[in-house]
Amino acid sequence: MSTDAVAVTGFISLFGLMLLRVPVGIAMGVVGVLGFGYVIGDIGPALKLLSQSPIRTATDAEFAVIPLFLLMGAFASASGMSRELFRASNTFLGHLKGGLGIATIVACGGFAAICGSSVATAATFSRVAYPEMRDHGYPQSFATGVIAAGGSLGIMIPPSTVFAVYGLITEQDIGRLFIAGIVPGILAIAMYVATINVIALVRPDFLPSTPRHSWAERLTALRDVWAVTLLFVFIIGGIYGGLFTATEAAGMGAAGAFIIAVARRKLSRADFLRCLVESLRTTAAVFTILIGALIFGYFLTVTQVPQKITEFLTGLGLGPYGVLILIMLMYLALGCIMDAMAMIILTIPIVFPVIKALGFDPVWFGVIIVMTVELGLIHPPVGMNVFVIKSVIKDVKLSTVFYGVMPFVLTDILRLAILIAFPILALWLPSHM
Amino acid sequence: MSDTARGPTPTPTPSPIDRFIDLIEVTAAAFLAVVTLLVFVSVFLRYFFAWSIPDAYDFTRLLLGILIFWGMAVASYRGDHISVDLLWTAAPPGARRAMDVFSALVTLVAMAAFTWMFAEKVLGTRADHVGTFDLRQPVWIYYFIAWIGLASSILLLSLRTLRLLLWPDKLGPAREPHTAE
Repeated sequence: MSTDAVAVTGFISLFGLMLLRVPVGIAMGVVGVLGFGYVIGDIGPALKLLSQSPIRTATDAEFAVIPLFLLMGAFASASGMSRELFRASNTFLGHLKGGLGIATIVACGGFAAICGSSVATAATFSRVAYPEMRDHGYPQSFATGVIAAGGSLGIMIPPSTVFAVYGLITEQDIGRLFIAGIVPGILAIAMYVATINVIALVRPDFLPSTPRHSWAERLTALRDVWAVTLLFVFIIGGIYGGLFTATEAAGMGAAGAFIIAVARRKLSRADFLRCLVESLRTTAAVFTILIGALIFGYFLTVTQVPQKITEFLTGLGLGPYGVLILIMLMYLALGCIMDAMAMIILTIPIVFPVIKALGFDPVWFGVIIVMTVELGLIHPPVGMNVFVIKSVIKDVKLSTVFYGVMPFVLTDILRLAILIAFPILALWLPSHM
Repeated sequence: MSDTARGPTPTPTPSPIDRFIDLIEVTAAAFLAVVTLLVFVSVFLRYFFAWSIPDAYDFTRLLLGILIFWGMAVASYRGDHISVDLLWTAAPPGARRAMDVFSALVTLVAMAAFTWMFAEKVLGTRADHVGTFDLRQPVWIYYFIAWIGLASSILLLSLRTLRLLLWPDKLGPAREPHTAE
């Protein structure tokens, strides 16, 4: 069999195993080892990969950034910082038409600054903001749609687990990637707020407003968000100023979130253990895929798949942006059937050489990929944030959440177009590091 | 009798296997706490005392390896790994069970091969007298502890496969799809 035929067979087997519910990481590892062994004609060296590659990945100190940022997010969630953020933004913005929706978006943005997980952000605000919005007469579709969209900010605004994984796979500086996410993240908040304003303008009776809060109430609420501000400035300031590496920032952030939670008596022993166990579970899930992907990478190398795909795509005559759009369409299609993290780990080793060959900036492409994943978190039929909201708010239909999130999906597509047209939005801040 | 008078539903006593799995998970979670503490203290000491704990770097990364391998063992048993549920959610119960068994078997075989090959790595590291950078502690001991996690996964996966085949109800209802972002 030619290497091309082996590569095609490998990919068919991989997708076949995944569809039969074999864990993504295991499927990649199995196909990687067998495919590599077949191409080189000896299974011995292929099996040897299992003794070298996984332990090298698991003991790479840089990879500690993943569990440590996950732990920081878990402590932040457990210590009630999300509630304080929502209360503060509500006192300032709640009186506007659709104000509680705007307050939710702003609070999600604030929470994203200390929690790198979209799913955790969506789950947290389903508990914090949804009851408040419903109590004030906000439609269910709008309330859940806002939370789904706001939750997606979790992976764009640093720190972000998806940026970290992208950086580790492509060997890009994770700190630069985090900093690159700041302006697109602020743009996302602004555009989501604008979307709510447009909805309020087009359908004046659809969204209520709540009474205006006094300045005394606002200042009191503002005082409560010191912890979030401190943590964000400490971590991102530390990375931007060159005080910490990304891994050190993650460790300092996790320890900082723990200290704040304990000092404010918001973290019981049971909560502490739950945070550790939750972070461990997600870490194990991510690392299984990472290890599988690295083994699968050997198979890709011997079959020269990335080079051949690069040659094929650059030879289509579509131009760099045509190829980029093709790649993004592929991500949106894959996002309909696959977990976003698994999708990134599986595809980046194949797509990244194409992006480099086309002359795109790797940091900018990281931002584009994260935005595409953000879109995948809310667009039908899979939209993980939508499922998470459904699992927290039992009485809502999936179709209701998808209906509510549609205006924000359109906003995301527009934002993606803006970021593609103006890469400077992502690259300006990192260029000053 | 009212619900209140009847009192809360008694929590079923965890089986020895469940207690064993919980023990692995809690120990690995404790390692994560130690890793966090080490990173924090190392940065603190570097900036305020211009000093570093000997072997902190190696100890952190080796502990990370242990907690990941142990975490993988627990995730394998609990079916916590990220997987594609598209076909599974649409399938009838019988087909779902068949897919679960197939998936558990493939995972078991893959983990068995991984455990076997990693045992060679542990022995090789021992024979080569590989040590940590500062204190020259033998690295193979850490690898061996990590290997114990993998070996446990073989035991746990065999048990999972058996339970799926003979007593599928003992594994409890399927969880919400696990995600990492």
